[in-house]
Amino acid sequence: MSTDTETRTEGETTAPRATDSADESLVGGIGTGTALLAVVSVQLVAFAAAVGVGYPGAYAGFAVLSAGAIAAYRNRGAFGILSATLGTVLLVALGLPLLMMVARQNPDLVVEMAADPGVQQALYLSVYAPLLAAIVSVAFGVPLALVLARGFPGQELVESLVDLPLVVPHSVAGLAILFGFGEGGAFGGVQFTVPVIDFTFTFAVLQTMLGMVLAMTFVSAPFAVNAAREAFESVPTRVEWAARTLGANRFETFRRVTAPLAWRGVLTGGVLAWARAVSEFGAVAIVAYSVEFFYPLEGEISAQHAPVFIYNTYLSAGLEESGAVATLLLALSAVIFLLVRTVAYDDGGWP
Amino acid sequence: MTLDIDVSATFTAEGADRFEVAADLSVADGETLVVLGPSGSGKSLLLETVAGFHDHEGRVALADRDLTGEPPEERGLGFVFQDYALFPHKTVRENVAFGGRYHDIRNPDDLLTEFGVADLADRYPPTLSGGESQRVALARALAVRPDAFLLDEPLSALDVPTRQTLREVLADVLADQTAMYVTHNRTTARAIADRVAVIRDGSIVQIGTPEEIFERPDSPFVARFTGANCLELADDALATPEGRLDFDGTDGLGTTGDDATHLAIRPEHVELNPEGPADADFSASVERAIQEDGRCLLALDVAGQRLDAYASSPPERDEVGISLPRERVTLLSA
Repeated sequence: MSTDTETRTEGETTAPRATDSADESLVGGIGTGTALLAVVSVQLVAFAAAVGVGYPGAYAGFAVLSAGAIAAYRNRGAFGILSATLGTVLLVALGLPLLMMVARQNPDLVVEMAADPGVQQALYLSVYAPLLAAIVSVAFGVPLALVLARGFPGQELVESLVDLPLVVPHSVAGLAILFGFGEGGAFGGVQFTVPVIDFTFTFAVLQTMLGMVLAMTFVSAPFAVNAAREAFESVPTRVEWAARTLGANRFETFRRVTAPLAWRGVLTGGVLAWARAVSEFGAVAIVAYSVEFFYPLEGEISAQHAPVFIYNTYLSAGLEESGAVATLLLALSAVIFLLVRTVAYDDGGWP
Repeated sequence: MTLDIDVSATFTAEGADRFEVAADLSVADGETLVVLGPSGSGKSLLLETVAGFHDHEGRVALADRDLTGEPPEERGLGFVFQDYALFPHKTVRENVAFGGRYHDIRNPDDLLTEFGVADLADRYPPTLSGGESQRVALARALAVRPDAFLLDEPLSALDVPTRQTLREVLADVLADQTAMYVTHNRTTARAIADRVAVIRDGSIVQIGTPEEIFERPDSPFVARFTGANCLELADDALATPEGRLDFDGTDGLGTTGDDATHLAIRPEHVELNPEGPADADFSASVERAIQEDGRCLLALDVAGQRLDAYASSPPERDEVGISLPRERVTLLSA
């Protein structure tokens, strides 16, 4: 529990400063890594002290002032100090609620919740279904990203369509899925039969795994497509041309040059899509409030996506219990977040 | 093999007008044709079109083989890029051996040795200097034994000493290759070309041997771009206190004097009398003297027009006499 907290905290507090000081050695001759560790430790001790004496709000002031002090120490001038101070106000607004939520949990209750099969099932579903959505997003998003990266007339229209889910309210997205693919929509209720094994599958989205994955794909696909497109665009055209003049056709050029140079961006997009799907609430709550799926420990079961489960727990059991589950989901999200950072900044951006 | 080109291609860039590139020229077997033109003249687009990277109309043929509908990988044309375009995720040796899946290639290590970069075989391109990168790129292009070479400003990104060394390497490589070489650098063009084609706004404006292009430009544009002086002749523009420079068009010059509007002469052919205008065509005032390796470039003012000339050392007087040898002068009509 506490390990998770620290890991996440480190991510929250060091990332912005890492970019600030990455390429310069600090005054005084200590290494950048050591200095970062010292800053993070001081912040954690200060937070613990503030919580300990019962004035956690005091930590907010400390964080903002210490950022200004660091800027002053590094000779950033009045403007630099002002920027660091104001920037830290936002960081506090983002980080403090999460820190406080974790700090205010009852550890026994968190452990109890972690042992609850219902919670475990919800968390399992919240990794598994988003993973399917991410795989779908990447499998079909990569070809689309390739086409977009190459450019074509009318591209802006397609780009807008790709970005549309980002601005559609998620409850609306859920309704759209029901109107589009639900009963009476395209494919809704249509039966597909696989001839040889005589397997019949009825296309239905309401309260099904298919519906949940569709809803998650709807909201997460833009991340996969855009990240992959940027990755493909970052491969210089001339490098691909060089491959062509050496005898590689379009597919060989993709396989031996474009893909090896772009896979990291594509993977980042996939993980981003996964993370986005994990956090989805609105669309999932409408389309697939509760779904049946295969759970390795117990076989076919029915469960809810964790954000939905947490909302239910909050309504039925209150803040304390839902907070404990939320902390578990937060830890899970932190792991995914770390994964994103590790994948995306493998070339030295992550300390 | 002879490379015959008769293409036109239209390009539309965002926020820019349509740009058309059209050329009808032929590169003889073993010949190096330099396409010389300023930035934005479409010379790289022309080369890329020949390579098959852009849709085009017309015809590209290599010997008797029509390449027009062929994709780049089927054209048998080697391409060397200004920014090297090495595969950053492959070692130097893997770069050179890249074409081995599709062609019977030359031994990569032999090639790397030939270009003096054998010790870099296991390095990755981002760790190489510009000169090293271009040597690797040359080795890579040669490895697949292309029928003809296309080179897009291969020396432009290099510093001067490296450029001079690599220019010699290139001259050796291209000695018996059919090659089309694009550059904006007239020194490189003159050093490396069997023939030069000057391109402007997407069209070839003059084509000929380096001697013809540099000594007998046929337009003010070519004259200026190849580094010749280009003086206006209109309305006594070259009248000086010592008299008017008079050409009657009978001196075996390119254009008859009557409709000539410009006069072109290379700086190295301008004769200088440092003592003043005696025995010279007319006098000129020295605006600036720039010491170069072993000689001094003088920027002169002749009746309000600029004229460059060379002297062995900076003149002591502000006024010098200049003569324009008739056989070195080309008369042009704009």
